[in-house]
Amino acid sequence: MDDSMGEQFDDSDLNITEEVAAPTTQDFGLDDINTSDTEALTASQVIELMESAWLNEKFSPEILPHKTEIVDCLLGQISYMEENLENLESNDFQKSLHQMETYRLRYLVTSYLRIRLEKIEMFNYEILKQEEVREEKNEESYLSAGELQFAKEYKENLEQHFDNVLSFWPGLPPDDWKKEYIKPNLHSFVFLKSKTEIEGVIIDDGNEEDGDLVDFKNGSQMIISYNSVSNLVKKGDVQLI
Amino acid sequence: MDPDVLEFLAEKQRVNIIPTINSNVIHLISGDVGPFRAGLPVQVPLWMAVNLKQQQKCKIQAPDWMDVDVLETIKDREKVSRNFIKMPSEHYMVEAKLLLSAAPDDIPRTDEIRTIIKDIWDMRMSKLRASVDSMMKESGSYAAVDNLTIMEINSIRPILPHALDQLYRLKKAARMHGSTQSQNTTTFNSRLTITPFKS
Repeated sequence: MDDSMGEQFDDSDLNITEEVAAPTTQDFGLDDINTSDTEALTASQVIELMESAWLNEKFSPEILPHKTEIVDCLLGQISYMEENLENLESNDFQKSLHQMETYRLRYLVTSYLRIRLEKIEMFNYEILKQEEVREEKNEESYLSAGELQFAKEYKENLEQHFDNVLSFWPGLPPDDWKKEYIKPNLHSFVFLKSKTEIEGVIIDDGNEEDGDLVDFKNGSQMIISYNSVSNLVKKGDVQLI
Repeated sequence: MDPDVLEFLAEKQRVNIIPTINSNVIHLISGDVGPFRAGLPVQVPLWMAVNLKQQQKCKIQAPDWMDVDVLETIKDREKVSRNFIKMPSEHYMVEAKLLLSAAPDDIPRTDEIRTIIKDIWDMRMSKLRASVDSMMKESGSYAAVDNLTIMEINSIRPILPHALDQLYRLKKAARMHGSTQSQNTTTFNSRLTITPFKS
């Protein structure tokens, strides 16, 4: 973390950092972050990635692949800053501004994590089932280690609670609730902004087997059903708005 | 999305301020800001500008578009165009609201600016409602929403996505029904008229 802070401090001219930051973030697809070294990004790029992940998570009906690297990196920056702030005098003019920024960034991270936890609680069975399938296929897990643990414990507690309550049920206790679990509505409609040129997105309009094909221009905005674009969201080619 | 969240998103937009204090460069996590020299304009994020203004440590320079003449041109273009025109700022409503309320003394003709922005907003919203209406009537399943700002998109959420979702369910149900019930439309219609509380 210290290294990347140093790097960020080197960018003395703000305007240059901003101009450079915008195009390069486009080159780093959200996918690349898992394979590339996160430390190589500047702090402002990490924030942009975090914002983008936050909005995607906010608007997508299902849970998206976790972004632990970004979250950890940003949290590291925030706590490093907070440690430094303790050494400043409380009436320092810069201190209040730094503090405001750390509050803002903390909100960003916590809001992102909360949305994921809400989804894990809501779609608990479905998410755990999909995680198992992914594990069998040796695919990258969508939940982080901590989230997976939370999901499993939540499921255990839920089942135990139902078992306790239903033990008073006369006769055989019903177990329908185990089969009829809540699934995210992948057909729900989302607004998106395309980050690149994409051709031939198939629209699932519920009418025929094969829906229309649409092309996205760079920067164009659409309202479209989520399942038509879910792979593009995960690849980072489109941004939900 | 909560309006507060919209405001949060918009607050990273950059504006020019003229500080009344001196300070070295501030190394924020999101990038460096400053140095502040009294009387020399400097670019800062909107949230910082509002905060400094509240502490009376700066004057805010209105963005170029926040000007009666520029806004009148935009209003005229919006009036003649059938589509939505590109707004000068992705967050024009939030910026206007924050800057005009935080720094009414720094921006000339605030009342006129407020009225024009409200006019533009009303015009765009009525266009938006008309296009949502026609989209539902044509039962479209996707639409381009180019040049709509986030706040405008937010104003038709969740009603439009929900309505489209219901439409999708109806289409799908009709199709499934058609394939299983050997195209018997008369039973389909008569079944629809049965009131659920009668039996």
